[in-house]
Amino acid sequence: MNTMTLERRRLGDEPSPTPAASPMVVFERVQKTYDGRTLVVEDLNLAVRRGEFLTMLGPSGSGKTTTLMMLGGFEQPTNGRILLEGQAVERLPPERRDIGFVFQNYALFPHMTVADNVGFPLRYRGIRGAEAARRVAEALAMVRLDGLGERRPAQLSGGQQQRVALARAMVFKPKLILMDEPLGALDKQLREHMQIEIRRIQQQLGITMVYVTHDQSEALTMSDRIAVFNDGRIQQLSDPVTLYDRPENRFVAGFIGDNNTLPCEFLGSENGLAFVRMKDGTRLAASGPAHPARSDLTVSLRPERLGLDDAGSAENRIKARVLDKTFLGDRVRLTLEAFGTERLVASLPAAEGAAVLPGRDVGMAFSAADCRLLAR
Amino acid sequence: MWLPAYATRSERLCRLAVVLFAFAVLAFLIGPLFVVFPLSVSKDPFFTFPIREYSWRWYADFFQNARWMHSLVNSLVAAAASTLIATFLGTLAALGISRPGFPARKAVMALMISPMIMPVVIVAVGAYMFFGSLGLTNTRTGLVLAHAALAIPFVVVTVLSALSTYDSNLSRAGASLGAGPVSVFFAVTLPLILPGIVSGALLAFAVSFDEVIVALFLTGADQRTLPVQMFSGIRDQINPTIMAAASLLTTVSIALFVLLNLIRRVKRA
Amino acid sequence: MTQTLSLTSSASAPNLRAALRRAERPGRLGALALALPALLFLIVTFAAPIGLFLTTAVRNPEVRDTLPQTAAALAGWDGDGPAAPGEAAFAALLADLTRAKEDNTAAALGKRLNYESAGMRSRIMSVVRHLGNFKDGALAPQFAALDPVWASPDLWAIIKRNAAPVTPYYLLTAVDLQQDASGAITRVAEDQAVFLGILGRTLWIAGLVTGATLLLGFPTAYVISLAPARIAGFMLLMVLLPLWTSLLVRTTAWVVLLQTDGVINQVLLALGLTTEKLQLMLTRFGTVTAMTHIQLPFTILPIFSVMKSIPEGQMRAARSLGAPPFFAFWRVYAPQTLPGVTAGCLMTFILSLGYYITPALVGGPRDQMLSNFIATYINRDLNWGMAAALAGLLLVMTLSIYLLFLRLVGAERIKLG
Ligand SMILES: Nc1ncnc2c1ncn2[C@@H]1O[C@H](COP(=O)(O)OP(=O)(O)OP(=O)(O)O)[C@@H](O)[C@H]1O
Ligand SMILES: [Mg+2]
Repeated sequence: MNTMTLERRRLGDEPSPTPAASPMVVFERVQKTYDGRTLVVEDLNLAVRRGEFLTMLGPSGSGKTTTLMMLGGFEQPTNGRILLEGQAVERLPPERRDIGFVFQNYALFPHMTVADNVGFPLRYRGIRGAEAARRVAEALAMVRLDGLGERRPAQLSGGQQQRVALARAMVFKPKLILMDEPLGALDKQLREHMQIEIRRIQQQLGITMVYVTHDQSEALTMSDRIAVFNDGRIQQLSDPVTLYDRPENRFVAGFIGDNNTLPCEFLGSENGLAFVRMKDGTRLAASGPAHPARSDLTVSLRPERLGLDDAGSAENRIKARVLDKTFLGDRVRLTLEAFGTERLVASLPAAEGAAVLPGRDVGMAFSAADCRLLAR
Repeated sequence: MWLPAYATRSERLCRLAVVLFAFAVLAFLIGPLFVVFPLSVSKDPFFTFPIREYSWRWYADFFQNARWMHSLVNSLVAAAASTLIATFLGTLAALGISRPGFPARKAVMALMISPMIMPVVIVAVGAYMFFGSLGLTNTRTGLVLAHAALAIPFVVVTVLSALSTYDSNLSRAGASLGAGPVSVFFAVTLPLILPGIVSGALLAFAVSFDEVIVALFLTGADQRTLPVQMFSGIRDQINPTIMAAASLLTTVSIALFVLLNLIRRVKRA
Repeated sequence: MTQTLSLTSSASAPNLRAALRRAERPGRLGALALALPALLFLIVTFAAPIGLFLTTAVRNPEVRDTLPQTAAALAGWDGDGPAAPGEAAFAALLADLTRAKEDNTAAALGKRLNYESAGMRSRIMSVVRHLGNFKDGALAPQFAALDPVWASPDLWAIIKRNAAPVTPYYLLTAVDLQQDASGAITRVAEDQAVFLGILGRTLWIAGLVTGATLLLGFPTAYVISLAPARIAGFMLLMVLLPLWTSLLVRTTAWVVLLQTDGVINQVLLALGLTTEKLQLMLTRFGTVTAMTHIQLPFTILPIFSVMKSIPEGQMRAARSLGAPPFFAFWRVYAPQTLPGVTAGCLMTFILSLGYYITPALVGGPRDQMLSNFIATYINRDLNWGMAAALAGLLLVMTLSIYLLFLRLVGAERIKLG
């Protein structure tokens, strides 16, 4: 018990990433198990900043919903604590947390009209009559559902239901809105449309949002920051560009976007660059979060960062054999053989790739920054 | 009929035989329900078919006889009271049992269901002895308590089944929107599981209204229920007024059954 | 960083269960609190009364309450010896019986001791009648004058043995065993061994009814599961409607049908299928038929709901693989209906064990089941001990099959209508 508090204090003493504003939510060493054996959330430490759009991204079963449920007050953390605006919330029941929640299946009350659904939270905040009606109308207008207040949820399309759920979660101006894969049930077009809508509303109201998805493009489009979950822990927490360009481990590199993952051996580092040796002995310049002399290292290389060798400034130049070429409209996709027998994929603008022919050798180039040296 | 296209001739014959057999079984099931009513409207005091002359005299007998009427009122009151108790307790229990963290669910369920399978004579004699020591035999209270115990499993089972289709995210949504547990129950959960609760209540009513053995042991002349009155009549000398009483009992059961199905239909719509 | 943290978490793993329990306790207690009223209600109005009733199967208050001095006087006496107890025991018995006469408890005592040994009632009552004739002086000869048996130790041994607060008498009797004068357990005489027969009859009738419902119910459930939705709905109605009709009404209907002047006999005569009226009431056949009718829906419904969940493609697949129709049915379809058959048959068997109304109204003396005997012991013989012992027997059978049901089917799977 004593050591726990000590360690917690030490953690708290670490310099916060945003010293300016106190965080909206802090997870401190949160653990969660349902069965007493496996940890669904292993060790969660996370601060959600005020007004930010933070996305939890991860494969199925990685503990995203569980994390959200703990924040919403529907599940108790097995260990650790959660602070909401600096206050520990273990003892705070969900109805007193003032958090809007949009559920994956929307959880609209089927026996109430749309207006009653949206007006529901106002009832418990003493807002009645004309003021309530005005707020409901305003919220429905915000999600562009004016005039549908008298319908039942069952009489709405999936996208409309989604908007009602959103309106209901915002109408009482909560300090925080949580969304659990709110767009999962919509078709692609509607989903992209709603992504923009949600982002617009969030920015307009300046509200803090924690958003759960397993769709990486959704996460990259909408978020201020993304927390990548896997196996019950956060693999990386950063803004979308950093996440894409500078993944910190192999899971993140593989989970977000396409990647060529190639085994290599660490040689040494110099001027902030790492040097590695590939299987066939080729030396490459790479970059990466840490360069420990470990045996299971790989370099990750995005297909679109591999270009034809145009004698530019890229640090790495290699020879490769073209095995296959697939035409994708605006781009072509090359399957290459390099570093001996390794396969790698490159993606070129269609115009550039026109001259490349299968069966021939081709010179490729890429920068050290795009060649990420990663451990597991 | 009801055959796949690939059926062979012998298969068809076989299937035809099975279908005929099934309808015979259904006739066996439903037939006896239809012998009681005709006899209750036959003028003849002896049970003979075909019926020569129709008359409502046995119903008049029933409704003019103070004993029969008294027993009818007793049955209705006892059934209503035990339904109230069983529905309240059973619904509450089902709400608890359906929660994810409920401790020892299997054992609790086994106990809750056991009145359904317990030989009724044992229940009756146990209640007779125990309630006797509390001065509750020959009182309506004793009968109501015992009937409520017999009816609780029916309520628990129906409400649990209603709750199994209830999305617990709805309760969570209610809570996240600021409603406390009690408000969530009344504003969200109750309206959605109400058909299940009413079904349970109807079953509870039927259980108490039709029950003979416990009532036989626990009631004196003043609390005699309709089935007890009928039972002693049949033991004594079966007569057409009993047929009238049986027809009325059946009518009530069928009315409850129809009501239940209407509720189910409304729920589905 | 990842490294160190994962070490921390695995170090705390043994405490995980405790932490989980701690975190979940409020939720568990809340859930339990909701079920508690119903649980307490059932314990008070249902479980406790039954438990209390069952204890009367071993309770033995008569001798203790009515003959306290005698019991004390016999405490030091060697019941296995060849000699009757000393004068003190006779004096105590006399004093106790004088008291019993005043309290009107002598008859109950006589009745209780008569269970142990025939003739005890008249012996006790004759002493009570002659209480005024006892003179001062040695009592043993005066008792022996009333009945020579008082001089033998056997009778006293019975009194001594039954001074204990509990007795195995009723339980032993319920399985046709007895304790002889020396306390050894033996079988009762052939002509008195009735209870195992009743137990066997109860099991046999329940088994017959279960078998009959399965025989009639399985094909019916099969046809309902195949029928087009509209017809199936109608057929299902014909199964559910009887379920809702009062058991008493259905039994009444069978009484009307089976009577000597009843509907069945009239129809058979009219059709010329029989020349004289058949005895159907008060027969085993009548009882089993009526019970089968009443239990049939309980067997059909679970089988039907399982059959409905078996995908049609199964049979098609079996046929496409070359199985002939009957083989496909027997090897592919039938095994999949087993859960429903188990649920339906176990339920019907459990419920059939406890039947009372139908055997009482339709059956003859040789068709009465355990429940009927329990009721008779209470209502006619006022023999609570025997009723409780038989109830214990019935309960043990019912509960063991109920446990099997819980094991194989589960309480959560019970559906109504
Ligand atoms: N109520 C529960 N009881 C037991 N285990 C659970 C419960 N809820 C979730 N789990 C388990 O916890 C793990 C994480 O589940 P969670 O729902 O948090 O995943 P997720 O990241 O939201 O996945 P998805 O993308 O599929 O929604 C899973 O292995 C799941 O089986
Ligand atoms: Mg999820």
